[in-house]
Amino acid sequence: MNPFLRSLIVWSLGALGCAQAHVASNSFLQLQVEGSSITGSLELAVRDAELAVGLDTNRDGRVDWGEVRAAEPALSLYLQQHLHLATHDGGCALTAGTLQINERVDGNYIWQPLTVRCPGIPQQLSIDYRLLDNEDPSHRGLLSLTAFGATQTAVLGGQRITQSFDLAHPSAWYAFVDYLQAGVWHIWSGTDHLLFLLSLLLPAVLVRRERRWQAVPQALPALMNILKVVTAFTLAHSITLSLAAFDLIRLPGRLTESAIAASIIVAALNNVFPLITDARWRVAFAFGLLHGFGFASVLADMGLPRGARLVSLVGFNLGVEAGQLAVVLAVMPVAYWLRHTTLYRRGIMPWGSTGIAALALVWLVQRL
Amino acid sequence: MVVAVAGVFSTPATARPYVPTSDTQVLADLPAGAQHAELSARRIARERIDVALPLAQFYINQARTTGDLRFLGYAEAVLVSWIGSSQPDPTALVLQATIQQSRHEFDRSLVTLDRSIAARAYNPQAWLTRATVLRVLGRYAEAAQSCEQLARYADSAYGVICTQSVLALHGNLPSAYDTLQRLSTTEMMAEERAWRASELGEMAVRLGQDSDAERWFQLGLTLTPHDFYVRAAYADLLLRLHRPEAVMTLLHGQGSIEPLLLRIAIAQQQLRDPGLERSRDLLAASFEAEASRGESIHRREQARYLLEVEAHPQQALEVALLDWAVQREPDDALVLVNAARAAGSPERAQPVLDYLRMQGLRDARLYTPSTSRS
Repeated sequence: MNPFLRSLIVWSLGALGCAQAHVASNSFLQLQVEGSSITGSLELAVRDAELAVGLDTNRDGRVDWGEVRAAEPALSLYLQQHLHLATHDGGCALTAGTLQINERVDGNYIWQPLTVRCPGIPQQLSIDYRLLDNEDPSHRGLLSLTAFGATQTAVLGGQRITQSFDLAHPSAWYAFVDYLQAGVWHIWSGTDHLLFLLSLLLPAVLVRRERRWQAVPQALPALMNILKVVTAFTLAHSITLSLAAFDLIRLPGRLTESAIAASIIVAALNNVFPLITDARWRVAFAFGLLHGFGFASVLADMGLPRGARLVSLVGFNLGVEAGQLAVVLAVMPVAYWLRHTTLYRRGIMPWGSTGIAALALVWLVQRL
Repeated sequence: MVVAVAGVFSTPATARPYVPTSDTQVLADLPAGAQHAELSARRIARERIDVALPLAQFYINQARTTGDLRFLGYAEAVLVSWIGSSQPDPTALVLQATIQQSRHEFDRSLVTLDRSIAARAYNPQAWLTRATVLRVLGRYAEAAQSCEQLARYADSAYGVICTQSVLALHGNLPSAYDTLQRLSTTEMMAEERAWRASELGEMAVRLGQDSDAERWFQLGLTLTPHDFYVRAAYADLLLRLHRPEAVMTLLHGQGSIEPLLLRIAIAQQQLRDPGLERSRDLLAASFEAEASRGESIHRREQARYLLEVEAHPQQALEVALLDWAVQREPDDALVLVNAARAAGSPERAQPVLDYLRMQGLRDARLYTPSTSRS
């Protein structure tokens, strides 16, 4: 038998050995859809990344962490070219974050956080996966896609380069809770709305007599003051928030933000140089309309899920109310208790208000 | 079903990602053929078959010796332009069939082999691979016919080893063992001798002659140290003889090959070794990934994992039954029988045992209580 044939036979003996196989080339793609933003991660084996972009620059037959870090731009570019996500509104932009390392049975994997920006809220996500399609036809991407509380999995690559995924319509309850939390969080982290409300509520435990602030004699008038202001503010911003959320009115974001800052200055200075002393709820209502547009811009960033728009809007609004009510309940009993003190009437009222106005002035300058 | 079983592994499967502290920390050793720079050779292979065939052969060899299935994908990429045409190259087809067989695509592998044989009758490697596939499927009569064809075209020793290995599963174990033992090895290449040693080792195991089996496996490993198939078979023998320390020594540093990691995990289980936790996590993640790919190459391993590492005999039995529907080697029967006994329903393994008796399989591990020694 000739030597070439012999060598052929010898490898086919390996057929027996291969009857027990090993780990194939997989990547792990995890995506979470939240509104119009998608976050997630991709795990690609160091071995596979070497084949894709060439990590071993010093050709010593091993890849070290320094070489992986140096290849970060190349990996990012490779990803941009070989992984495309799109919604029915168009393609999404993919950004990869700082690399990390994860260990699996067949060796180390490069773990990259991903941020994906899509036009509009995806109802359907199409994923075009071409990683290693030339180098290793057996390579697959194992996808785990979570949207609105539901997770689906799929195998990417191979014969089916492009696959489409219907994102489950968010269940109403899920959307409600999600947006409720967002509302609470927004009011607590958005100092401007709270400071505006505070400016209107500081004088609620006082009355203006003979050009001086005096403590209200009883709880009832203070309670009525608070109730009127909070209700007027709530009513007003609910109206504009709803109008803006359903795209019936739209204001430029910068204008809204500047006007909100101005509204705080006005409300705070009114405590120092009082013009309107009895019907502050009207101020609350008028400026509350403005603040509603501010809330609407947050909601526009998050996006309202189709099919659960109303319920999400109600959830967000209730979240805002709950958040603001919690602050009122925490602050106003203290104010009521302090109302007779000079500290409150001569200190907190004028100087606190001046401070708020000064802060709002800084915002106004920044936002103009 | 696979999905249901995969649910068992849904515990956090891998460690969390981290940022290495040193630039010099080595993350991967690249075996030959895995470098980016070698892609140029692959491009040439698309134009020239005299480059494509040795390169694909090299990749398949690398898959065998490193235990890295990626090399099969590389081989496939090299072969793709040579098997799609109306007159495909017969050697390229055999290589393709080997890849398919390694992925347990047995029926497709047989079709590819028939195409290769149709393109070239003088085709010993196609006949040998065909015999191997049919043997895994338990189709012994057809496997023996393929061995006869092999004997017509190749050195007689190949035919003898091939035929006797099939006969040994088919009612003639003692005589096959005897014949192979007396076969002269003076003319053989190292790989051929290793093949003989490994077949003899497996026959000795089924005869219940464990100390002889150990000798054969050791000889096989001396001849081809990288053959992880022999290593796994030897490790199984040691595990059955309750020698987990010897398994840890035998498989030291080979945990990246999944079937070997399984044996390490079983040994760690017997030793109550703290390293077991990590092995379990890695294996669980790996089975989970395979399940999400919709593949089932490792059902035999998965069944053993469930039975011997996780101690879930019920689930192990279900997976073993699925495995048996696809491949029918003695080890597939063994895990099924052990799982059925452990699950308290030995009657579910009875059809398999009846089938094996009918086929004439003799295996000391199957017909006596699993703890018996020779």
